[in-house]
Amino acid sequence: MEQQVRAVDPVTQEIIQGKLLSMVDEMGIVMARTSMSPVIYEVLDFACGICTRDCDLIAQTNGITLFTGTFATQVRSLVERFADDMAPGDVLVTNDPYAGGTHSCDLAIMRPIFAEGRIIAFAINVAHWLDVGGAVPGSLPPDASSVFQEGLRLPCVRIARDDKLLPDMVRIISENVRLPEVALGDLNAQLATVRIAERRILEMVEKYGAATVQDAFDHLLDVSERRSQDVITALPDGTYEATDIIDGDGISTDPIEVKVAIRIAGGRMEVDFTGCPPAAAGPINCARGALSSAVKTIFKALVAPQEPSNEGWFRPLSVIAPDGTVFTAQKPSPTGWYYEGSVHASELVWKALAPLMPERFSAGSYSSLCVTYINGRTADGEEFIHIEPQHGGWGGAPGRDGASAVIALTDGDTYNYSVELIEAKFPLHVRRYALNVEGGAGAGQWRGGFGVVREYEILSGEADIHSGFGRSRTPPWGMDGGGSGSLNRLDVVDQETANTVTYGRLSHRRVVKGDLLRIATGGGGGWGDPAMRSRDAIAEDIRSGYISAERAASEYNHRGTATK
Amino acid sequence: MIRLATDVGGTFTDLVGYDEKTGKVFTSKSLTTPQDQSIGVLDVIDRAESASGLDTDKVRFFAHGGTTVINAITERKGVRTALVTTAGFRDVLEIGRGNRPDLYNLQFHSPEPFIPRKLRTEVRERVGADGRVIEPLNEDDVREAARLFLEEGVEAVAVIFLHSYAHPDHEKRCAELLRDLLPDVTVCASYEISRQWREYERTNTVALNAYVQPIIQRYFANLEKALAAKGVYSAYYAMLSNGGVATFSQAVASPLTLVESGPSGGAAGAARIGAILGERDVLYLDVGGTTAKCTLIRDGKPNLDAEYKLEWARTFPGYPVQVPVVDIVEIGSGGGSIAWIDAAGGLRVGPKSAGSAPGPACYGLGGTEPTVTDAKVAIGLLDPAAFAEGAMTLDVELAQQAIAGLAGPLGLSVDDVAQAIIDVAESNMINALKLVTVQRGHDPRDLALVVSGGAGPMLGARLGRELNAKSIIIPPHSGIFSAWGMLAAHPRADIRKTWFSPLVASSLGELAKLFTDMEGEALSYFDRDNTDGVTFSYTVEMRYHGQEHSVSTRFTPSMQLVDFAEAFHSAHETAYSFRLPDARIEVTNLHLQAEIAGNVIDCPPIDNDGRTVAKARKGERKVYFGNDGGWKSCAVYDRNGLPCGERLSGPLLVEEPTTTTLVHAGQVLEVTDRGIMVITEEVR
Repeated sequence: MEQQVRAVDPVTQEIIQGKLLSMVDEMGIVMARTSMSPVIYEVLDFACGICTRDCDLIAQTNGITLFTGTFATQVRSLVERFADDMAPGDVLVTNDPYAGGTHSCDLAIMRPIFAEGRIIAFAINVAHWLDVGGAVPGSLPPDASSVFQEGLRLPCVRIARDDKLLPDMVRIISENVRLPEVALGDLNAQLATVRIAERRILEMVEKYGAATVQDAFDHLLDVSERRSQDVITALPDGTYEATDIIDGDGISTDPIEVKVAIRIAGGRMEVDFTGCPPAAAGPINCARGALSSAVKTIFKALVAPQEPSNEGWFRPLSVIAPDGTVFTAQKPSPTGWYYEGSVHASELVWKALAPLMPERFSAGSYSSLCVTYINGRTADGEEFIHIEPQHGGWGGAPGRDGASAVIALTDGDTYNYSVELIEAKFPLHVRRYALNVEGGAGAGQWRGGFGVVREYEILSGEADIHSGFGRSRTPPWGMDGGGSGSLNRLDVVDQETANTVTYGRLSHRRVVKGDLLRIATGGGGGWGDPAMRSRDAIAEDIRSGYISAERAASEYNHRGTATK
Repeated sequence: MIRLATDVGGTFTDLVGYDEKTGKVFTSKSLTTPQDQSIGVLDVIDRAESASGLDTDKVRFFAHGGTTVINAITERKGVRTALVTTAGFRDVLEIGRGNRPDLYNLQFHSPEPFIPRKLRTEVRERVGADGRVIEPLNEDDVREAARLFLEEGVEAVAVIFLHSYAHPDHEKRCAELLRDLLPDVTVCASYEISRQWREYERTNTVALNAYVQPIIQRYFANLEKALAAKGVYSAYYAMLSNGGVATFSQAVASPLTLVESGPSGGAAGAARIGAILGERDVLYLDVGGTTAKCTLIRDGKPNLDAEYKLEWARTFPGYPVQVPVVDIVEIGSGGGSIAWIDAAGGLRVGPKSAGSAPGPACYGLGGTEPTVTDAKVAIGLLDPAAFAEGAMTLDVELAQQAIAGLAGPLGLSVDDVAQAIIDVAESNMINALKLVTVQRGHDPRDLALVVSGGAGPMLGARLGRELNAKSIIIPPHSGIFSAWGMLAAHPRADIRKTWFSPLVASSLGELAKLFTDMEGEALSYFDRDNTDGVTFSYTVEMRYHGQEHSVSTRFTPSMQLVDFAEAFHSAHETAYSFRLPDARIEVTNLHLQAEIAGNVIDCPPIDNDGRTVAKARKGERKVYFGNDGGWKSCAVYDRNGLPCGERLSGPLLVEEPTTTTLVHAGQVLEVTDRGIMVITEEVR
């Protein structure tokens, strides 16, 4: 290819980039506002994006980080399968975890956009469907042993032609999922987003011409690549390693030891997961697409946390891992709770790189989304399912204590549920929603932030619960001499016997009226030697009730009580 | 009788007076006095008296917009405030919503609460979602809290209990006890400010309200005293964030309603201009020195933002407040915004601004970075000799020098860089304007674009063309339009109430009854015993069962269920492009808008006698249009001399003391009989 001076003037470049962002924003607004699933409108478990005709991500809206790096691979696998068999108005779909996807619940739909007779871009949308069939409502059995228990799979097939859903596909979906109205409602919302993307891209092409738009895309990718490379080049060459433990796979509680070796040389970064154990029996595995996304999340945090995402940033990065490991699961390994595994891939990279650029990192966090499912019947006999991720403590960082009660790395713009709304909607009484100060946080010059405690009293006759709490045995790591954080736990208190049982990943338990669920998330790790913590900060923590005088004495060797 | 408005902005305090009998409009401007804004208010009145003969004896209505509340919050200069909550929930304020919009920032923190943990106390009490008392208020706990607050020397206390929107008695009793025990302390209970659910948002609302209340109380007391000393004896009104006004004492009771009073004045003004022209749906853009703000006006009223957040940014959750605020999208692109080259080699404009000191390079006050205003001078849009009523001469060379710094890296001529700076600034504004229109389901082709602000009218014509707006409207007094708009505002109350229920036949009667109660609240707020002269409008927020976000639907007490349901389906379709005819409908919130009708400012008819196009013509100026024709000669007109009814084809410039309007080739300018300028595309 011949090298041109610069095909697009910088002003048009800037304006096209602005339009790309406003385009993906518009896709996101339509999705969040019209969806029927709380997991989409409340947790924002979806993402929208545009890829170039070469399948490179060029713009993305993210509600959560899990989809940071999945689009390019998903589009590529669809394009490989359909090649020339694509026409304007086609929409293709995939939820195959082994072809760039995540888990069966995440449906990616893709629309090729044609201009001047050829493809100029692809619009893509991925959203978590509430249910895609399978062994349990919600399609995520915490003890699944194969992907066939995790619901319907639509691996790279056509779902619409001429902008109309294919009736056969609609029938397959409605007969295979538990809540077809919700599923088709969300599918319609997804289709609307890629339709809007097509309209906006074509407006752009009409104004600037296909060649200019294409050149602007290329330029954006190249510039991002160069900037990313500059950051990597500035880091000291070398190999950086980290190890960690995943607390059980949902079937057994056996520890799963994972590790990473990161090689930085010549402005490139190679992230190598060789040596990680084979895929687990339970559903905390992730496949290669989710692994790559998990690594890209931290890579982005390192090179350009606030810049709009595109594939260019990731060009200096390569991810190496043999097939069939816990991070590169293959069919038919279950991947339903993949984010409970993939977050550890992120954290390994985070832990290995944190000492290199402390201004971008913090110590370990509570990590696990600690999702709880409560389902039963309301007083009117109507079935309810309450699905809730929890917020928790993040690690300290040089210059500042860790953040309390924010959502785990895998999510992002995810809100907690309002107590007043929950009590109006479900037969649940919230006894307490507070910082988990009694659980504590990692000591350090900069201590960890605190998790939360949420207590639910069951008001319905009976209900069923299941949960997926990671970091229930191995606490968040401290950094640079800081102490470990604290554990996530789900306590169930039997109202009759006052007997308490503590769980992490729980596949099923029946509870009855009056029983209490105490969800407690952990505090983050500390950064720096606790002996270096300022005495004033310790006294202020005691005065604010963040730590007790006893704990101050044992963790910081602090004598005396709070002073005014 | 004269109606007078003063608007305190970051740099200037503006005044507009309107003599209802003669239609005469008084204007003046003076510097804002940040320590005590009331000094600047008196200054600006003095100037109006001496320069344009304003007679303060004749003032019967005084409206005031200021930044005291927003400043106390942004500068964290509120009073030492404590919080009382339901036992088990004192950390709700600190936990917030826990979202992390700055996705890749591994050092992200939620917004710091305005009340620290040691000043947050719990008392035993509990009410259920249905308003039933589960546990009575423990008054000993309240007394204990009062002792702590006394010891801590707090100046204000906020009280928030769960589900108080459904049953406020516990909050009421707790506040009463605290007021008895702490007579020198300001006490606010959440139900007094908000009757809506979502405990974090309501807690934050009452906390911020308490935090600023003593400050605004002192400020209004000072201002009243000063105005009285000046001889302005009239009803004193404060501009609210909802596009209406309230008496000073009403505003003091709920000071958070003043957070966005300036921009809300502009929105009220845009709605008024729309009304004069018969345009019910208006898109309003105000371009100031550092930011541009857009607002949508539907059916004659500014849209309200139900989820307003202070200090919100793309990467920061901000502080949600449950008070009615005009829905404003604000971006960091104004006249003073600085153009720069980012790490990717792209040209960017803003959000950094040169402000008023040193200001744009062309001010000659030491600024060296190129701004949007410099670009305008360089391409001939602004007359360097006639800036700010001739108070300042702009230096074209300094502007060009500043811009030249970017020419090398961009590989463009100075003229082209200047044009590019304006292109990028406009593109930012287009994206913001689309956010309040297209992205919320409104078609700009149905909207008139009203553009104000010193820096707006020279950009408006092209923005309107790009958006396909119906017409572009440049109101009079564009440079002090917020103050003008304050004289268009009515006394207004917005009462919102959470009421969660499925929509069934019996709901309509219940809704009507709830609205009647709310009307009673509005009347007692206005201190009236009957509804004479008060207009009410009723909105119900509803959603499909299973959804989270609600859509507003107009309600009238005589409505049938089927019609009301249809109105909702159709509102949902407009907003989100589809309807679900078989889905169940749920009511979530009620919203009553009460307004007291009265006289407002008008645009007096212009005296066309002796006005001719030829006489209004001041000369010609060359303006650079970049790819669109390069340097072209444009006729320059004096706005105050233009006759009404004539159609003038662009390109042309219209100058007035506070701003300049540019009309492009292919567009036509017409001045209405009331002096409003309307720009439309030439029909080909």
